[in-house]
Amino acid sequence: MDKDNIIEQISQAVIDGDDAASAEKTRLALESGTDPLLILNTGLMAGAEVVGKRFEQGEYFLPELLLTARALKSAMEVIKPALLEQQSMGVGRVSGKIIVATIQTDIHDIGKNIVASLLTASGYDVTDMGVDVPLKIIVDKAEEIGADVIAVSCLLTTSMPYMKDLIELLKGRGVRSKYKVLVGGASVTKAWAESIGADGTASNAADAVVLVRSLLGSG
Amino acid sequence: MENYLELLDRANDGTYISEENWDLEKISATARRLVKKYHLEWDRSQVISHDPALADALFQAGFEMAVELGAYCRSTERIIKLRQDEIEDGLKRMRQSLVMGEGKDARTLVARRLGDDHPPLFFGGTPGTAVPERFFLANVISNVQEPLIDLATCGTLTEVDGRTVRTGHPMEIVATRRELEYMRTAIRQVGRPGMGMLAAQSSVSELGDLAAAQERYLRPCDSHLVPMLNELKMDFRNISRAVNSLEYGMINASLACVIVGGLGGGPAGSAVVNVASFIVANLTCLADYHILHPIHVRHVATSTREVLWVISSVGQAFARNAPAIIVADIYPKSGAGTKELLYEVAANAIVNSVSASHLEGCGSANGTLPNCSGLEARLMAEVGLAVFRMKMTLKEANDWALKLLPRYEHIFTQADGNPGLPFDQVYDVQQVHPLDFWQKMYAEVKTELKSEGLLL
Repeated sequence: MDKDNIIEQISQAVIDGDDAASAEKTRLALESGTDPLLILNTGLMAGAEVVGKRFEQGEYFLPELLLTARALKSAMEVIKPALLEQQSMGVGRVSGKIIVATIQTDIHDIGKNIVASLLTASGYDVTDMGVDVPLKIIVDKAEEIGADVIAVSCLLTTSMPYMKDLIELLKGRGVRSKYKVLVGGASVTKAWAESIGADGTASNAADAVVLVRSLLGSG
Repeated sequence: MENYLELLDRANDGTYISEENWDLEKISATARRLVKKYHLEWDRSQVISHDPALADALFQAGFEMAVELGAYCRSTERIIKLRQDEIEDGLKRMRQSLVMGEGKDARTLVARRLGDDHPPLFFGGTPGTAVPERFFLANVISNVQEPLIDLATCGTLTEVDGRTVRTGHPMEIVATRRELEYMRTAIRQVGRPGMGMLAAQSSVSELGDLAAAQERYLRPCDSHLVPMLNELKMDFRNISRAVNSLEYGMINASLACVIVGGLGGGPAGSAVVNVASFIVANLTCLADYHILHPIHVRHVATSTREVLWVISSVGQAFARNAPAIIVADIYPKSGAGTKELLYEVAANAIVNSVSASHLEGCGSANGTLPNCSGLEARLMAEVGLAVFRMKMTLKEANDWALKLLPRYEHIFTQADGNPGLPFDQVYDVQQVHPLDFWQKMYAEVKTELKSEGLLL
């Protein structure tokens, strides 16, 4: 099998948001002995980067982004065992683990979904907990999976205080220092994020990825 | 649907679908297919389409989406199916006129057509904006004291007596009632006690809404929001708001903040979703009127080229095919004390007014900061009325919008936006009048627009 060609096909499947094709091509590439890191970086991530750029330029919209995230997810399920095996042998690394959620009482999730998709597309292991997620459940999940980052969002101004409560809960449990806590949403400002002791905020999804990279290193 | 509560049965018994599949396989896929089927296209170089065939095709596409999809209940993850005859009946029953307020201050909203003989009405206030309690009353007064403002609305209180208000928390009840007390005080103080209101804005869950349904707060002649979630979704919280109006009789304003660039895709797909949302909201929100508030996926503002096109196209689609009472919201990116805000408001007011809507605003600074005042609401009303008086055509309005856009579009690429200043730095809060520099800026822009031919 032509290695370049299969990598290109994987990339294209991600760009097309074709989850069945991305999983199948990834499986074929692995079976033919292609390095999983090459599949990840040159195939999957390169495709995701194209979509991310097109989204930022206003050429692609949310559906394309969500379909790409779905295609990446299905390919990652195929490739993950091989990557973990390499990692245990000291080759490469699986990127940071990030929990994203819309905070307790808020149900707005479009912004959160965009951030989750772009973070996934950047190679992070993203656990999207959905909307209106109780603080306790967020912290329990972070502890369970050993998250590096907890990223919470909200649109409603009156749900913003729950972000502060989340940080207080982490402090109360004595685990605050284990996590980078990022807050976001239409009404969240840098000053407010600092005032509640968050580790950062970003004004858009692309900047959120840059922020995570600066905190954790490349995806 | 004869009985609204039947909606709850359908929400419980409907077909199960995960939310992700609803978003992608229903909303996105259907929007994409209908855009192709009806050859809907957004021409980047234009802000307002004057092609009646496009407006009609858009309406048909939105109708088809409503019939095909119905709505999604997020609480049960089930589809609320709506039959075609119910949807058609909902369209037929749309209010053609609606009295808001009481006595001499009452106003009648009508379902406007393109080039209608009835002028648009104006809701003045700062919907969706968190306004500090210390100048909340003055901020409302700054809007309702404007003679051209017909109806009142407001921002939300996020602190009451120094206590933080949290969604779904007992303080939400306190905040919503306090907001209504300020609203009633404001309209009394300016001598317009019967002015109709779109209020209970501090009720972000259903709690405040329930607490405000009393004559002392929100009267039956006032309206409250019954929102839909993105896209074509309801949940039990929002259904509770509609149920709350059943016996009491408050006026229901449906609110679908369709995201342009969101699940519907680009402007054309988003317009289809918006048309479908209104058609569905006739039944799911028991809508007496509809708030037209598409927002830009990145910039939020209603003043971007894409969103202006959607506002106009959706307005035209209904005006030509099923006239409805539509109130188009103005949410500019810039904040008070900036010239760009005034240009954004002017562009939005022209587009909204010429496209058969009534107007509401302004959620200046994207509603993220209390950087909003009654002065921009005054300009909104002046410009909206000028469009009516001039009998402005769609083509002329397009030219105006194209002329105004270059005066503010740079703010969309500015790193920190263009937030301007808080209300208390652009108004004398005691006397409730604009500070000199803000008044002067407004006068300059008004003179400029007049010199260019706007009948202000």
